[in-house]
Amino acid sequence: MAETAIMKSIDSCTLKNGQVDAIAACSLMKRYKGSGHQALNDLSLQVTKGEFFGLLGANGAGKTTAVSLFSGFMSPDSGTVSIMGMGFRRDAKKIRQILGLVPQEIALYDQLTARENLLFFGRLYGFRGKKLQERIDQCLEFSRLTEQASRLVFSYSGGMKRRLNLATGLLHLPEILFLDEPTVGVDTQSRHLIHQQLVELNQKGTTILYTTHYMEEAQELCSRIGILDAGSIIKQGSPDELLKQSDCRNLEDLFLQLTGKQLRDT
Amino acid sequence: MLKIITATCKELILLKRDRAGLLVLFLMPALLVIVITLVQENVMELTGQKSTQLLLLDLDEGELGINLRQRLAGEQIEIVAWDKQLKTSVDVEKAIATGNYQVGLIIPAGSSVTMREAATQLLQTTVQSGNDQPALRLYLKVFFDPGIMPGLRSGITAQLQMALGAIAMEMKIENLGKEIGKLVTQLGIPQDALPIDNLSEHIGQPLFTLDENRDGAVDSESPPYNPVQQNVPAWALFGMFFTAVPLAGSILQERRSGIWIRLASLPLSHLVLFVGKVIAFVVVCLCQFVLVGLIGAFLFPGIGLPAFSISQNPGAVLLVVFLSSLAACGFGLFLGMACSTYEQASTLGYTAIVASAALGGVMVPVYAMPPLMQELAIISPLNWGLNAFLDILVRGDALSAIWSDLGRLTLFFFLTMLLAWNLVRARK
Repeated sequence: MAETAIMKSIDSCTLKNGQVDAIAACSLMKRYKGSGHQALNDLSLQVTKGEFFGLLGANGAGKTTAVSLFSGFMSPDSGTVSIMGMGFRRDAKKIRQILGLVPQEIALYDQLTARENLLFFGRLYGFRGKKLQERIDQCLEFSRLTEQASRLVFSYSGGMKRRLNLATGLLHLPEILFLDEPTVGVDTQSRHLIHQQLVELNQKGTTILYTTHYMEEAQELCSRIGILDAGSIIKQGSPDELLKQSDCRNLEDLFLQLTGKQLRDT
Repeated sequence: MLKIITATCKELILLKRDRAGLLVLFLMPALLVIVITLVQENVMELTGQKSTQLLLLDLDEGELGINLRQRLAGEQIEIVAWDKQLKTSVDVEKAIATGNYQVGLIIPAGSSVTMREAATQLLQTTVQSGNDQPALRLYLKVFFDPGIMPGLRSGITAQLQMALGAIAMEMKIENLGKEIGKLVTQLGIPQDALPIDNLSEHIGQPLFTLDENRDGAVDSESPPYNPVQQNVPAWALFGMFFTAVPLAGSILQERRSGIWIRLASLPLSHLVLFVGKVIAFVVVCLCQFVLVGLIGAFLFPGIGLPAFSISQNPGAVLLVVFLSSLAACGFGLFLGMACSTYEQASTLGYTAIVASAALGGVMVPVYAMPPLMQELAIISPLNWGLNAFLDILVRGDALSAIWSDLGRLTLFFFLTMLLAWNLVRARK
């Protein structure tokens, strides 16, 4: 019975004009144990295939929680998530084959080299032999780390780690990519390179969900954005549409207009 | 399977690169087994589980000293004789007081002559009525190291008294035989009609023999109990369980970085990663045991300790090592999932392991504990491992005797792994 209800709920969220959304979240609720704070509060969201969607929010708005739920790392208290029309309860393995995740923290082993890190994650994705070596070389080239591939990640700069972190999430050529603030603490050159590569990926058909609190980044990269505040999406649309509707000069003004100027992480 | 091998290789590489951590993992049990065994070797001297050194200064150099040495030979007393030209009774007293020897005995000059006179006088007093001469007495000086246990002191005193009593009895019988011989001659009975010549030998035959019965199938080839056979497996086991903390640390490092989230996004179960960790750390535990075993087998004989041996049943020993390692790894997985920080895991882990080792008989044998603690020892995984080791290595038992302990270790591994797995699911 519960399974049927979930499937109906997924259907109502995803099947529009006969097209299945890449990501569909429906009425997500999440509260962490021991916290009085509602991390996600009735969050609903649809991202279509090939879209570059930006999730904007202040610190503590619920961006990382949303990504954790979308990627199946956590389960919602209520509500449903579907990826390409599939739910984690029944098709977790299939979803994970097509989904890439770049966490906010550096998700690499410090005491392994870049090549060893890629080899480890690549093998866990099921790549073997020549195909694996090819993918590793492509990822190293993508992150401009071919010459430093044999150095321990421990010795890398923040920018190098971020680039490798991103490349590791792309090892298995995912159809959908979740990026949780991938440019935090990165220098201008590395950020520029990351942006350029993400745009290229999106142009090749990868659906991207990108969380950030850098407004200019979202304006530059995203075809559509959702503004997240206190666990709910309070506004969504393309940057141009949103700016037109609000008469604001830029996304930062719009963001402050919508969420207010008081600090949100206290 | 390939994913498990990948996870195992990654863990082994990370362990290899953490040289300081690895050094601690191997150095700690090696150092502990050497220090504790040397300390216990001394304790065994003081409790009499090892032969006791008796320092003898024979100022008499007569038949008493020779006889006494012969009678004590074969007992657990090793006699060290000092030359009376070079040493005095004061030297003996000092050597004992400083703990260099456990017992000192001085036979005063002229003791053998006095002994014969005393025996003759005693017989005369007995056969000649009206002879009221005061009995001659012989005094030997004995010193004990104040550090030795009262039980050992009583034991040595009893052994000395028995030996001296036997010498005195032999002399009395010899004199009695001579006296009977005289009477027989006077009565005209042929000498060979009575076994007078062998009288002391005949009378000295013991009437009772204490038959020590050791329960179970004791392998006559199993080495005698010594601190090495106890300490090598005990401290190797202690070291193996200590690997639980670095294993927990490796999980916590992944959980606290983005790695855990990335791993959760992969198309594989966390169980694969757990199994990879367990295999890698079981390899570490096996290496630890091999190292400690090699120290016991090859280094110990070089420093005057008995050699460690697993030759009775190496297969059973390896099985105990393997299952103990699994139990230790299971505990590590549980710690890694139950704790939030490395500080929590190390404090909780080390405390639990030390308490479990103390309770399990690694530090003090279980039989020497108060009754309540002996009852509680059964809950310690280190007790299960140690019991199995001692059954094989000391008691010479077969594999069938340790199934219950092996079963407990296996169950503990699966239970802790299941708890860790449930915590992974609960944290979702």
